[in-house]
Formats: sequence, C-alpha cells, structure tokens
Amino acid sequence: MAGSALRRLMAEYKQLTLNPPEGIIAGPINEENFFEWEALITGPEGTCFEGGVFPAKLVFPSDYPLSPPKMQFTCEMFHPNIYADGRVCISILHAPGDDPMGYESSAERWSPVQSVEKILLSVVSMLAEPNDESGANVDAAKMWREDRAEFNRIAEKIVRKTLGLS
Amino acid sequence: MPVILVDRLPLPSLKTYTVISVALLSCSVYYAVQVTSEANWKTNATTPHETVAQASSGKIQDHAFTRVQQAIEPGTIQAELPPLLKAKPTLSVQIAEVVTYMVQEPLCIWTLMNMAYCCLILLGKLIQRVVFGQLRVSEQQHVKDKFWNFVFYKFIFVFGVINVQYLDEVVLWVAWFSVLGFLHLLAQLCKDRFEYLSFSPTTPGWSHARLVGLLFAILLLSGFMFLICIAVGFFDGFNTFAFMAAECVLLTVRTLHVILRYILHLYDMRGSDSGSSGNHEGLARVVAWEKRGPVAYYAELVLELAALLVDLLHHLHMLLWSNIFLSMASLVICMQLRFLTHEIQRRFKKHRNYLWVLNHLEQNYPMASAEELAQNSDNCAICWEKMETARKLPCSHLFHNSCLQSWLEQDTSCPTCRLALSMQSPITRDHGPLDHTLLAVDGGADGVQVARRPPANHFFHFDGSRYVSWLPSFSVEVTHTQLLRADQGPPVQTSQLDAMARQVQQLFPHMPMPVIMDDLRLTRSVEITIENILDGRLVAPPGRRFHEEPSGPIAISSVPTVLPQSAQPSAPDASAQSITHSDSTATDEEPSNLGGRFSKSPSERERILHLRKEQLLQAARRRYLDKQEGSKPSFDSCVVDENVIAPDTMA
Ligand SMILES: [Zn+2]
Ligand SMILES: [Zn+2]
Repeated sequence: MAGSALRRLMAEYKQLTLNPPEGIIAGPINEENFFEWEALITGPEGTCFEGGVFPAKLVFPSDYPLSPPKMQFTCEMFHPNIYADGRVCISILHAPGDDPMGYESSAERWSPVQSVEKILLSVVSMLAEPNDESGANVDAAKMWREDRAEFNRIAEKIVRKTLGLS
Repeated sequence: MPVILVDRLPLPSLKTYTVISVALLSCSVYYAVQVTSEANWKTNATTPHETVAQASSGKIQDHAFTRVQQAIEPGTIQAELPPLLKAKPTLSVQIAEVVTYMVQEPLCIWTLMNMAYCCLILLGKLIQRVVFGQLRVSEQQHVKDKFWNFVFYKFIFVFGVINVQYLDEVVLWVAWFSVLGFLHLLAQLCKDRFEYLSFSPTTPGWSHARLVGLLFAILLLSGFMFLICIAVGFFDGFNTFAFMAAECVLLTVRTLHVILRYILHLYDMRGSDSGSSGNHEGLARVVAWEKRGPVAYYAELVLELAALLVDLLHHLHMLLWSNIFLSMASLVICMQLRFLTHEIQRRFKKHRNYLWVLNHLEQNYPMASAEELAQNSDNCAICWEKMETARKLPCSHLFHNSCLQSWLEQDTSCPTCRLALSMQSPITRDHGPLDHTLLAVDGGADGVQVARRPPANHFFHFDGSRYVSWLPSFSVEVTHTQLLRADQGPPVQTSQLDAMARQVQQLFPHMPMPVIMDDLRLTRSVEITIENILDGRLVAPPGRRFHEEPSGPIAISSVPTVLPQSAQPSAPDASAQSITHSDSTATDEEPSNLGGRFSKSPSERERILHLRKEQLLQAARRRYLDKQEGSKPSFDSCVVDENVIAPDTMA
C-alpha cells in the first residue's frame, strides 16, 4: 500500500539528504507526489562522462519497495545500457519475477533491501563501465566496442550539454 | 447515435448553457402562465396530452419531477371545480395550474428536463470546486472515459437488453441513470484523488476531511437510491429491482472500498514523522500494524470480490433476461463477462497464493526470540522501520512478519541474501516464474506505473476512446499457457541454473550463490561443480562470509548473452559508507548547512534540495571549465575505477 511505501521513501530521502553520496543528489520533484523523484548524477572521474551532471527521473510503484522503481535519464544520453529515450537497462532495476530475456540470475535483481542510493551508485558504475553486450542502445554498444574515440567525442558533447556549455 | 454528434460539436461553455437553460425555462413558464391565465384553457389545450403526461409523471424519480408530481394533485382537483371558484385564483393555486400545464405540454417537459440536467451539472461543478479544486489531467481523462463508457453501456442496456418501447419509460430510465452515473463519476473522482493524495506525506488534514465527507455522502445517497429500487421493485417486479439494485450495490461497494483504503491509509500515516525517529508512538503503531494486517486484507478481499461478483451477476442477468443471444448487445455483455470471470479467477489465485505463503511462513519460520531481536539492532530491511516482533528465515535474517509475507507472495528468496527458500507455491509450480498478472497491484495515479504485466501480450486492452471517444474500453486477459511453455525454451537456462545452484548450495551452504552460479555457467552440470568444490577448485572469496551481503548490484544487464558476473571486490554500499564519512571537502563552496539538514517543513525541504542541485551543477561547471583551461590536467591517465564515487580531490 502506498502508506508503507511513503514511509520508506521518506526515510530514504532523509538518509540521502543527511548523508549524500558524493556527486549524487536525489529527492522528490514535488512534495505533493513523493513517488516521482529527480536525481542528479555526476559523471564518474576518469571516464568519458567525467564532469557531466546527468539528470534522471525515478518513478516508484505504489508497492515500493516490493517492486523496483523505473529510471529514465531526462537529458540526452549515449550509452550502451541506456535506451534512446533515456530508460536505464540495469539488472538491479528488474523485478525478480519478470525476466524478459531470461539471462539474469535472480541474484542480481531487485530486492526490497536495495535502495535509491544503491541504484544510483550502480548507475554511476554503469556509466564508468558500460556492458557493451547490452542491446539497450545497439549503436552505442557497437561504437563503444569499435570506435572508442568517436564514442568519447559524443560523450564529451553530452557532458558539455548537461553543464549548459554546449 | 446523438452522442457522437454532441461530442463532435463544440460544446457551449457552462455559463452560456446555464443562461440558455434558464432563458428557455422562463420562456416556457411565461408561456404557461399566459395560457393558464385564460379562463377556460383546460378545455382547449389539454385533452390530447393528458394521458401521456400523467403516465410519465406517475413514475418519475428525478428530484425535480417528484415535486412536479406532488403539484399535480391539487391541479387536477382544481380542474373539476366549477368555474365560479376559479374566478379568484390564489397564488398557490395559480402556480399549481402553471405546473400542471407545463407537465402536460411536451415542449415544457423538455425544457424542464433540460433544466434538471443543468442543475445536475452545476451541482457537479460546485462539488468539484469545493472538494477537488482544479482537476488533474488524468482525473479529467478518467472521468471522461468513464462517462462515455457508462453512456455506452446504458444505451445498450436500455435499447438492447430491456428493449424499452415507450418514450416515457426511456425518460424514466435516463433520469435514473443520470443520477446513478453522476454518483459513479463522483466516486471515481474520489478514488483518483485519494490515490493521488496518498502519494504525499504532507497533505493538509482538511482536504482529507472534505474527500471523506464526500465519500460518505455518496454512500448515503447510494443507500437512499437502494430504497428507491426496493420501492420500484415492489410495483414493477423482481427483474426491474435486480437491474436497478445491482448498480446501486456496485456503487456502495466501490465507495466502501475507497473509504476502507482511505481509513487504512490515514491510519498508516498517523504520526509518520514521529515514527521515523523511532520513538514510542511509532513503535506502538508498528505493533498495531502487525495485528491489523489480516483484518485489512480480508476486508479488502471481501469488498473486491463482492464488487466483481455483483457485476458478474448483473451481466449474467442481462444476458439471460431477454432473447438477445444473437445481438450486438449480447456480444458486448459476453466480453464483459469474460473479463469479469478472469478478474475473479485472478483474485482467487492471488488469495490462494496469500494463504499458501501465510501457511508456509507459520509452519517453517519461527518468530525471532527476544534475545535475537535484541542482538539484531538493525531495522527491518524491507520497510526500514524498527522491529518489535520479527520472523526469522533459515539464513537468520529477520523481517517484519507482514513485510516478509508481502515479499514472499512475489518471490521466494530471502530479500537480503537471496537464499532460495525451499518453497514452491501451488501457483509458481504451475507457471514457472510467478505469474505477474497475479500480482497486479491496484493501479496508482498517473506517473506511477506499477510493473504489473509482463511485456508478453497477455493482456488485450482495447481502448476505443482513442479512436472515437464514445467507444468503450475493453480489457480482456488472454491466458496462453501454451505460449508460456513455448517461451520457456532457451531462457529456461537461467531458471535451471538457479535451480542447479540451489541444489549445490544445499550441499555446500558456505559457498556464496554467485560463485556457484559462475561455475555452473561454465560447467553446466551439478556434478562437475560439486566435484570442483570438493576438490577445492572453487573457493568462497575471502571477506565475503556466508550470506552476509547481497551480491553487488553493479551488474549491468545485457540483452543477448549471459551476463558475466561482475567481479567486484567490494560492495558499493561499503564504499558509499566510507565516502559519507570523508567530509565533503571536495566542492569548495558547498555550504555545510545544506548537506546535513533534513527540514521538517516540506517547502523548506524543496528549497534546500533545489539549492543543492544548483550548487552541484555550478561546481561541476566550474570544475569542467578549470580543466578545459588546462590548469589542472592531473586526471588524464586515471585508470577506470569501479568505485567511481571516490572522493573528489580536484578542486
Ligand atoms: Zn518491515
Ligand atoms: Zn537471508
């Protein structure tokens, strides 16, 4: 029920505000709806996404934390594990039951002990280390494998865009 | 259908409509007054209409008409009096005469009806203003959909099922369904608004109060309408009563359901601020929660099933009522019946699953003892709240009973360590991976999409209103068990892998699941993996004690191939811990007062969050520009680090 989800989200928000992980900020877009958050993720150091600040939207189900939230970047992204519309394809965001591809063991999937913080940290490391076998964005995966220089150039462009420098 | 026409035409605004209605009404009243002021109007005006008008006025339920009906009696008496007495008509007698005339004159009846609708719409508008304020887009859409659906089904009902022949009967049914539909729409609005309000912890009490007040008013009115059903049924037979009563009962049950959910929600939220700090009141609430779990569950179950069953019976009744088996109406009703039976089946399956999990929990996992609870200082990992009582899994992880229950209804592993619990519910056994359609959670309001259905086309949803707004929306669930089996060809590998890994782990509980899985991916055989373990070729990684940590959530999904387990030495949460300790000296200007505070006031929280976001962006921008200038080119050769959130030492 929404009541317990709300209490849990409040607790997570509190924790993320009091002890924010470096370079990550997350919270409800509007206090009137605690089930839609915006997160800002700083691109990890030493990677092609370094320095960028990437906004993403998190949408929680009303039975959170039993089901995982959905995450979608709201800026332009070019990454093997991010769909063209910004949705993030990462195993922690997949419910244990639903396995469209049948390749993930349930050990990596969503469980109620996961949290927004863990999701965001996972996404940061996904930015650092794309899984180039993913089909979320085939073009990006191919470029990541074959033409790293061009990939870096596009990433650089995106970074500048997110900083408003373009 | 006139309905299409109305929708296509640009509807006049409410204001002009009201003005027009009032003007029409006053015109007809004036006309009636003119006619009745002539001494012997009765002889030349009424006779042809008399029978029709009285037939219709005899049964009308609409509020405006009942008054008219009462007014008829003196009027007809008056008609029989000698003209001598009529010479000096008092005001009341005159009004009665006017009304009598208006009820008899068809043109005036239409204006009266129009006025009644106008009043209804104005009333709706008033309620919307007072209770809801501005409607959100999704609420408007819902109401619109529901309205056209209602109109469509009632059209079928009146002309397809009961097959009404006379205009006055149509008028009666239309009046009845107008009021009913009005209440249905209000109830729908209340439900939507409640769901929306339940997404916020800071809703002011008075908006709850108004909504609950409206809900109770709807409940009261639906009870009143049920009385009308009984009265009508008394004169008109059981079938009419059943048709009318079904809708009333549905309305009542749905309203009760919303009220119940509302009360539960308010109960849950009571003192949630203090609850998070874990003081005494919060604890008392948590204990109470444990107790009220089953009660609330059964209350909801009963209400949901009652609504579905009444709806089902209603549709069956419609189908059997008249010989309509081969008509368009029967087709629509059959589709609806099919949908309802599936819903009921689904609900029962879900309930069976619930009972099974409950039973399994009670038989296999003991409640944690007081010492165990004392030893375990952590909160419940599912709801993050303190545990006064807890159930203990074989891996000695503790959870609230109700939290564990709801998790195990959808997955059969320990949430913390993923230890597969040796439980196979009757449903999971049948369908392989738990059929997620079973777990459909009552949909949230806009934006919050519940991951309810698998992408496979299990669920056929026809939303007619997309094409033409009066078309209905159907949802038909197709259970293709065969398709499911066919799907399970290649992908089964992982569930097989899981099962194999479980087998191995039962023999070697000290081996972490991911290690076993990795090896199994290579060997594809339980025996060889067991040999590997026995021969010491497979070692549990140091520092990773049995079931202590969830496997790193870092693994990135890949589509076509099996995912290589990301071999990361440290779980990211550990690194996060270390970072939160290292003081944020990184961004040079981050005022410390922003990071370390969680305000009680929502608006201040919003403001602080906004400020923090601004600062993060600005700091990043400055850093980026600094680097562009080449002033600090120190990170060029940095090796990609897994724990990328390492403290930023640049600025
Ligand atoms: Zn709990
Ligand atoms: Zn466990």
